[in-house]
Amino acid sequence: MIGLREAAIGIEDRVLIAPATATIEAGTFVAVLGANGVGKTTLLRVLSGALQPSSGEVRVDGMDPAALGPLERACRIALVTSDDAPVDGLTARDVTASGRYPFHRWWEWSESPYDRAAIDDALVAVGMSAFAERRFETLSSGERQRIWIALALAQEAPVLLLDEPTSHLDVRIAHEILALLRAQTRAGRTVVCAMHEINDAATYADRLMLLGDGQMLAYDTPERVFTAGLLETAYGIPMEIVRAASGAPRAFASGATDAGASAGGPRPSPSPNGRDTGRSA
Amino acid sequence: MNVALRLLGLLVVALLALATSALVGGSYLPVGDVFYALFHPHAQSDVVTILWQLRLPRVCIAAIVGAELAIAGALLQGLLRNPLVDSYLTGVSPGAAAAIALSVVAGVAAPLLPAIGFAAGLATALVVAAFARRGAGLDAIRLILCGVSLSALFSALVTLVLTRAGPAYAAQILAWLAGSTAGRGWSDLFFTLPYASIGLVCSFAAVPALNVLRLGEGRAAAVGVNVSRTQWLILVAAALLAASAVAVSGSIGFVGLVVPHLARRVVGGDARALLPGSALLGAALCAIADAASRSIAAPAELPVGVLLAFVGVPTFLYLYLNMQKVRA
Repeated sequence: MIGLREAAIGIEDRVLIAPATATIEAGTFVAVLGANGVGKTTLLRVLSGALQPSSGEVRVDGMDPAALGPLERACRIALVTSDDAPVDGLTARDVTASGRYPFHRWWEWSESPYDRAAIDDALVAVGMSAFAERRFETLSSGERQRIWIALALAQEAPVLLLDEPTSHLDVRIAHEILALLRAQTRAGRTVVCAMHEINDAATYADRLMLLGDGQMLAYDTPERVFTAGLLETAYGIPMEIVRAASGAPRAFASGATDAGASAGGPRPSPSPNGRDTGRSA
Repeated sequence: MNVALRLLGLLVVALLALATSALVGGSYLPVGDVFYALFHPHAQSDVVTILWQLRLPRVCIAAIVGAELAIAGALLQGLLRNPLVDSYLTGVSPGAAAAIALSVVAGVAAPLLPAIGFAAGLATALVVAAFARRGAGLDAIRLILCGVSLSALFSALVTLVLTRAGPAYAAQILAWLAGSTAGRGWSDLFFTLPYASIGLVCSFAAVPALNVLRLGEGRAAAVGVNVSRTQWLILVAAALLAASAVAVSGSIGFVGLVVPHLARRVVGGDARALLPGSALLGAALCAIADAASRSIAAPAELPVGVLLAFVGVPTFLYLYLNMQKVRA
């Protein structure tokens, strides 16, 4: 369980998100949404304990993550960053095995049978067992993302934070990755995922945390967050909410921000079904 | 498994190199006599004297210096994720050289020079690290830039001293600058051993973190690596190793840059294998180079550093470029 109590999020003395209170229950999938630069990554860094909140408090399973030592923190919280440093000369398995780092003292250089099982399980969970011995740099971006998630799973932390895990991935792979994260919540893990694809978030997340306008605009179910007003405030572009065949809400930016024209009049709605089948192949 | 075998192979190569280096030299010694002398160090004969007082200390020093420089290079290349970095990156060698040059001119007794070189080399590295501090950790780019500029400053200082000092001083300074194991004895070896051991322990303490750092600092921090502490640990280890090598043998280039690359091709990039592999390969290379420096122009000596550069650099470029072609 992750708790924010009157926590303000910011970098140094610049506050990005005004004090907010929210509770993320264990075993839920929360998508953090908001425009570029609104503070999604910073929020994840605060949740991971890499950064202190500007004010207020953050608790992960009752503990202040910033007060934990780096090793203990890594055993409780796994963070999949979006930084793209080149990795050379390692196999997919080598990368995954790095997730076992926090469980070893500096003189313990060899993998225990338990480590091996954790690494193998993580590779199975992301569907990459067959790629274990492939060199990392030869993998596609979707396969690399799976391996980064496998590394986090090998950490066996109950909390999984991900920064834009589906950016730059095609529709099918993005959905596969979100589905495997969703599956992790069924195993009891808490997943918090910053992302840009709002409709994918509505499909897979239990709750959406919508950031914008220097505050946490909403933290609620997709049904409640998907209102034109909230999404327009967050993204600064007129939004149109439609229903997929399944009844799930979908939002689409309804054209250019041509100030006068966009103020609410009826407009031809995109074919929800056509768009939907395209996205949920 | 495979990697363990390759490491074993490198160990054999290193031992063969040491043996060869002990057998070869300015004066020819029969193999049988050398072996007899090896196991009877207190026998009275020229062979025993040459082997135990002249050759063995040099061979051991060459091997240890080679191993130290190779490990320091591998550590810094891994820490900074930069293949162009060598063991002197932090200005260890020019710092030591400047201090030695000034000491020679000031008339400091020769036996004190290694200690002065060591202290100055280590101090330079720490000054560079202090400049490169950012928060609790180190900034890689600033570290490289500070290292390069301080190196330039100290090299200029050495040049200044060389041009102003008399020819006798200049010859003594140059002999040291050239990088050589000529005339080194057991006392030099015992001087360097404690620092080498501390540096070695620190290096091996950094191995697991070094492996995870290959994913980048952000990812390493996410799995619990204390990045700033690891940076300082590696920097101090590399500085200790390089400074204690420089103190006994002067500035031997090439080893710290090139040996880690060669070792990476043999045993792979895993630090658990790369550090021992680099150490063995560096020891082998320097032991052979030392033997060659004693015998090629016997009875005159060529400086090991010069020899390594002349033979090693073209060989390395040839091997490296060809291997790249095969992979591409």
